Amino acid sequence: MTLPDLTAADLQPVLPALVLAAGASVLLLSEVFLTTASRSHLALIALGSSVLAGGVALATAFEPAHAVFQGLAVQDPFSSFVTVVVCLGLAGVVLLSADFLKQRQAERGEYYALMLFAAAGMSLLAMSAELITLFINLEVLSVSTYALTAFLRRGPRPAEAAFKYFILGAFSAALFLYGSALLYGVTGTTRLADMVGPLRTAMHTQPWLATCALALVAAGFAFKVAAVPFHMWAPDVYEGAPTPVTALMSAGVKAAAFAGLVRVFLFLGRADPEVVALALSALAVLTMVGGNLLALPQRNVKRMLAYSSIAHAGYLLLGVAALFPHPGTGVLAATPLMLGSPAVNSADAYKGILFYLLAYTVSSVGAFGVLSVLERHADGDGATAWDLDRFSGLAQRRPGWAVAMAAFMLSLAGIPPTVGFMGKLLVFRAAVDSGLLGLAIIGVLASAAGAYYYLRIVVYMFMRPAPAEGVLPEKYWATELALVASAVAVVALGVLPGRVADWLSQSGMFFGTR
Amino acid sequence: MLPVPLPHTLALAAVLFCLGMVGVMVRRNALVVFMCVELMLNAANLTFLAFAQAHGDTTGHVSAFFVIAVAAAEASVGLAIVIAVFRSRGTVNLEELKTMKH
Repeated sequence: MTLPDLTAADLQPVLPALVLAAGASVLLLSEVFLTTASRSHLALIALGSSVLAGGVALATAFEPAHAVFQGLAVQDPFSSFVTVVVCLGLAGVVLLSADFLKQRQAERGEYYALMLFAAAGMSLLAMSAELITLFINLEVLSVSTYALTAFLRRGPRPAEAAFKYFILGAFSAALFLYGSALLYGVTGTTRLADMVGPLRTAMHTQPWLATCALALVAAGFAFKVAAVPFHMWAPDVYEGAPTPVTALMSAGVKAAAFAGLVRVFLFLGRADPEVVALALSALAVLTMVGGNLLALPQRNVKRMLAYSSIAHAGYLLLGVAALFPHPGTGVLAATPLMLGSPAVNSADAYKGILFYLLAYTVSSVGAFGVLSVLERHADGDGATAWDLDRFSGLAQRRPGWAVAMAAFMLSLAGIPPTVGFMGKLLVFRAAVDSGLLGLAIIGVLASAAGAYYYLRIVVYMFMRPAPAEGVLPEKYWATELALVASAVAVVALGVLPGRVADWLSQSGMFFGTR
Repeated sequence: MLPVPLPHTLALAAVLFCLGMVGVMVRRNALVVFMCVELMLNAANLTFLAFAQAHGDTTGHVSAFFVIAVAAAEASVGLAIVIAVFRSRGTVNLEELKTMKH
């Protein structure tokens, strides 16, 4: 192995991550050198870095796919769009955090720095095309998020949530790493692109070792995206973490983990497409049905949104499963409605996954945003802070927030005219096109069941009387801006998705698909 | 000195990995669980090194160094979290970490 000579041109593809890391370093240094009492500049620096990084990523999003860093990473429209979505989510989360932290006298540079480092890891994870690079970036984003979960460490909940997140995160990372080591053993390389051929041979010569390795890598990712049955950490962690951090987990971490999952299994799946497609479909069904059923009885809205995030991972897994050809022999795929043999149009599937990630990011950041402003006047961090009753009569007290929350709930439930509906439409259409009609029907039924718990919040907001003694939450411009921006995005992208969907069609130019 | 045969090293790594995995699931002391996770990472490292020796290339050796660095970073954050748990609870027994109920 020879060390490459790096030039400025080589660093250009990772510019968004560099911008985020530079912003994080400025924030850390400002904490050392600036001794002013006012700390509102911290959020502005973080916001500026995330907008700049997102802009840089968008500017490079239309370049053809190519390998960078000697094939350790790739730059393609898919990775660039994931970076854009991550930066969008990060900007919203930073706006929500500004006031959240001020209320708790916890405005610190390292909070935003950790968020930016996590986002840099997410951006690089979407680009990684080599197992060790992938592992390092996965850990960069995970370790930052563990620390963020414990950021408000005074109460017992954050520490407990952080510990659960840390143990299960480290456990899943170890599963992934052991799987990678076995893959390296059977193929002799850690680069995904070089691995396809040897792995296909190994599936015949050493089937047990190769299958074991694939299963371990898949289990590692299933933990990260919180797919059923690897989801048990998610509700506790989502509930215990500070609400803006929960928003980052559900928006950014999920998007990046899915990008990594797609990247890895698009290459490794070629060794044995049928088994991989079957495994992904099974995970998708379990996650869609399980997530929605577990969310139904929840009265704690934060916990309900955690289960809802699991259910959304299920719809995304359906989109990932649609990337593989389904010959129509499986029980779920065999339906009399299928005419002719299904053909995989992977451009549609990529578009579906990316649009869904975008839709889920804006909706969940908004939903957690409303939750964080209502939580403000809660005493301590008791579970009542997120009880459904807190939403009673919100329409009379804060009509703007109630309308915004209603838009987010409709979007998460997948009801037109919101972006969530368009996302579901694209994902389910891609699934049907690739022969997964049975799965798409299960997905539609599961999301119909899910509409119950989303609409229940709308009913509470608009049809229940407001509690007499409740103190009105205050308004703050950064939070208002985040809520207005995400509400506008939810409706605008739902009514006029054309331009953005056209952009995302470019993501069919995925590295390695020829 | 004779080199250790590949199957022996792999078997040792697999045993270590399984011990770590079982430990994470059954042990109740936070620090022991934490050590079990480290055991799993080291089992993966050993596998990388065994295969690197068998293949005769350097990728596996390089990977092990990166993994050690990442594991150190993870350990520092993990221990900080264990300390935060101990400060708020006065215990590191996982049985007692049950604030959040369904």
